[in-house]
Amino acid sequence: MSRTRVVAAIGHALPWAIAVAYFFAAPSDLEFGTQVMIWILFAISLDLTLGYAGILTLGQAAFFGLGAYIAGLFALHVCADPILGHFAAIGVAALFGALTGAMILHTSGVTLLMLTLAIVSMLSQYANRATDLTGGDNGLLGIRLDPIFGVFEFNIFGKTAYVYALVVLFGWFVLAWRIVHSPFGRSLDGIRQNPHRMRAIGTPVWWRLLAIYAISAAMAGSAGALSAHATRFVGLSVLDLLTSGSVTVALILGGTRRLYGGFIGATIYLVVQDYSAKINPFFWEFVVGGLLIATVLLLERGLLDLGPAVLRLRDRWRAGQRK
Amino acid sequence: MLSFGLTVLLDGISYGMILYLISVGLTVTMGLMRVVNLAHGAFAMIGGYVAGFLTQRGCNFYLAALGAAAAAAAIGAATERTIYRPLYRKGELAQVLLTVGFVFVATGAVSEVFGAFPYPVVFPAYLTRPIDIGFREYPAYRLFLIASGAVIALLLWLILDNSLFGARLRAAVDNPRMARAVGINVSLLFTATFVVGCGLAGLGGALGSGILSLEPAYALKYVVLFLVVVIVGGEGSFEGSFVAAMALGVIDTLGKYFVAEAAPYLLYTAAFALLLWRPKGLVPPRSLT
Amino acid sequence: MGCLLAIITAAMVLLWAGRAPADVLKVGLLADFTGAFATWGPQFQMGVEAYQALHGKTVKGPDDKPHEIQFIYRDTASQGPDKARQLAQELVLRDHVKFLCGLDLSPHAMALADISKEAKVPVVIMNAATSSITRMSPYFVRVSQTVPQDVAPLGPWAVAHGINRVYTIVSDYAPGYDAEAYLTKTFKAAGGTIVGSGRTPQQETNFSAYMERVLEANPDALYMFQPAGSPSVAFVRAYVERGLKAAGIKLLGGGETQELFLPNFTDDIIGTVTSFHYTETNTRPANLELRQQVKKMSGDRAVPDIATLAAWDGTRLIEDAVAALGADADGLKYIDFMKGKKFDSPRGPVEIDPVERDIIQNVYIRQVEKGNGTLVNIDIDEVKMVKDPWKVDNPPKSN
Repeated sequence: MSRTRVVAAIGHALPWAIAVAYFFAAPSDLEFGTQVMIWILFAISLDLTLGYAGILTLGQAAFFGLGAYIAGLFALHVCADPILGHFAAIGVAALFGALTGAMILHTSGVTLLMLTLAIVSMLSQYANRATDLTGGDNGLLGIRLDPIFGVFEFNIFGKTAYVYALVVLFGWFVLAWRIVHSPFGRSLDGIRQNPHRMRAIGTPVWWRLLAIYAISAAMAGSAGALSAHATRFVGLSVLDLLTSGSVTVALILGGTRRLYGGFIGATIYLVVQDYSAKINPFFWEFVVGGLLIATVLLLERGLLDLGPAVLRLRDRWRAGQRK
Repeated sequence: MLSFGLTVLLDGISYGMILYLISVGLTVTMGLMRVVNLAHGAFAMIGGYVAGFLTQRGCNFYLAALGAAAAAAAIGAATERTIYRPLYRKGELAQVLLTVGFVFVATGAVSEVFGAFPYPVVFPAYLTRPIDIGFREYPAYRLFLIASGAVIALLLWLILDNSLFGARLRAAVDNPRMARAVGINVSLLFTATFVVGCGLAGLGGALGSGILSLEPAYALKYVVLFLVVVIVGGEGSFEGSFVAAMALGVIDTLGKYFVAEAAPYLLYTAAFALLLWRPKGLVPPRSLT
Repeated sequence: MGCLLAIITAAMVLLWAGRAPADVLKVGLLADFTGAFATWGPQFQMGVEAYQALHGKTVKGPDDKPHEIQFIYRDTASQGPDKARQLAQELVLRDHVKFLCGLDLSPHAMALADISKEAKVPVVIMNAATSSITRMSPYFVRVSQTVPQDVAPLGPWAVAHGINRVYTIVSDYAPGYDAEAYLTKTFKAAGGTIVGSGRTPQQETNFSAYMERVLEANPDALYMFQPAGSPSVAFVRAYVERGLKAAGIKLLGGGETQELFLPNFTDDIIGTVTSFHYTETNTRPANLELRQQVKKMSGDRAVPDIATLAAWDGTRLIEDAVAALGADADGLKYIDFMKGKKFDSPRGPVEIDPVERDIIQNVYIRQVEKGNGTLVNIDIDEVKMVKDPWKVDNPPKSN
């Protein structure tokens, strides 16, 4: 095998190897690892719309939250089987994505941004008021889940939740990878860069956008379901504007249009947030804000670009030396 | 019944005036510089805190309000060169993120310096009492807001329609390339307008602190509100943001009176519907490109 | 000479070795240090540190082994209960805490029910005021208050003092509903009429519309329940601005006028009557001790509030429990120890209900007045040893 292929193969295997190693290396911290994986999935879902298709959205939390509540309500009122609940969540989220997408995807830019904000805000308000359904501020309490396949049960040690999240993440990742590297995915790239030109060559732009929006919604809904299952709790924060903003930050931190950017961004965001909150509870706003500003100003393509950015700097320095 | 209707109208308009004061700077930033500035609320917040700081130490209210505007304008000038300049070319998403980062930093700074409690601006006693307006007693404060908002709106309109600066500004908003081609120094215009916009926001934050209370979460809490006013009104449109601010102020107040349970929804549903109906805003800027 | 030196050295070494190292017992305190509820965390911390400064951080267990009680603070950042749950889980699994405490918001406390049972860790609740919480887990004990407990005595007091028509406006969340329900219940039971009620969105600061409705209904008094901070300040401002005070409508409330928040109000708040379980300026010895220690540690501008108070009492309970049972007792044993305990808190005499594990305490009726140039709450009445009325109305279902 050529060297580049070996490097690529190692690069691909690395995140998964780390995830598996973590399971054995940090048995008392599995919940954190599960959270990271849920957020990676969430970030990747956003990458498909925001990164690849260029749909400016701050409302991704709508699908995440919807997925979480459906999964929770399903377990409470219909059936405690987590797999069925998960599929229900994905289905509802995808449907909602398709419906709202159909209503707003003909707009673009800041108008589209505002519309997505309005949608997630309305959903959030609704959840807040419908306390009989959602538990309101207290959230959905007392969720009991059947063990997966009747064997693997959920408890505070979180082993089942971790493996479950890992498997789901892997499945979606493979799907996202195939989509992005397909002709459909390429057309999304083109749409992002110049929708008019794409229309001119006959691409059904609106339908493609709707399709990716619905897929992304399904993925985010799946992440939400994982969240509900892993913590056996659903609170209003899943529909919060802050949640939407945070996942956007995490994605940008890592770098859009790389899929693996989501891995890096989500991990770093959660780790930094956790760590700076522990150092000084007042401090984390500064750190997160500063990180955001620095990333945007200095690293165009996110932290995943750090390597190439350093290499570029090195090349420029060498070129300067040669003069 | 008439009295009730008039009261609601006055309440809605006074609220709308504050929204206008704060958002007018944002509409120019977004329309002229095409920068999505989610940190605009932070300027209003800073202005409010400065006014609070000054009035709590006995400073005259009107001087403090001017101080608020000046402080916000100064910070605007400083950040325009350092943080916003690089953003012009970077695309909407980068702008959203960077300005959100700025909001976080501002929120953290305000918490540290002024504490987490609500921070009061001390109004002169005559503004805290109701006065007789014929058919009922009505808070003097709200009348003051309506009056000052109207005066500033009038001033802005006069400047825009009757001065060279105003003409240049409108030209630059309509068609920046053409404006540059005829020799208008668009980047100086950017800076000047941005600074004035921030100053107005600071003033709005100070004057409006009786309705929009000052606290560290201010910038994040109200940013959606200001954005809605700007986008619904049409970016870059002064008349649009005035109309949108009034409309949203009245709708929100009406909502609170009649359908209190649905009140929070009302704003977003109204914005959603208005945007679908008029994606470019209620009064879109006339543009040739 | 060398011999003497050797003996002295040996003696010193033996004395030093005999000094058993204190082992550390960790207590996790979860509260909001940032965000909308950012005042709770620091106020809790102040109470804990004041108590430990005065009474020591180390207690001797029943076997005379010293145990250092170390508090670990975690910020729930005014976010949802999932954050509280996550932090609690980490504290239990990673930091191996023996107790959890703090919890300013009810949803945060509720989210800990499952963890407390699975990990068998006692939770000393220092604020969360929803009545049903202590029933959610046998590991929950509360040292603060419940909303119905604070509110219920105001109804009969109002009727006894000439207030027959009341309009209630509460904030739209669970504590608000509790306040509305119990004021209405006790006020009506004493013969009063509720002429209207309203619920305002949480964190609302624009009350003009609601005040208009109150003016129309023309009650004797307006009852408010707003979270401390900008909503309560804005509420009182609107009450004055809209002419309600001038029209003779009295203002009734609860925790809005705590000493910590009084500086945010203008003199317009004078005359407001509130019912609450802690009047900060009381002269009981335990309170004077608390106030003095707080001033010493945090300066003259520091003011203790119900968070400081509850943290003080909670720390006391935890330290007493460890002193009685050592550092390795079973969670339920610590809870059993705390049940039925009576002691003198800075607020007055208190008791931990042996069945419900909730607090039984005095509730004071106070009025805001101006004393020595500052606004202050003055006790005008007292209701002794009030049990949480919700629990009385809803006896536990027999298992």
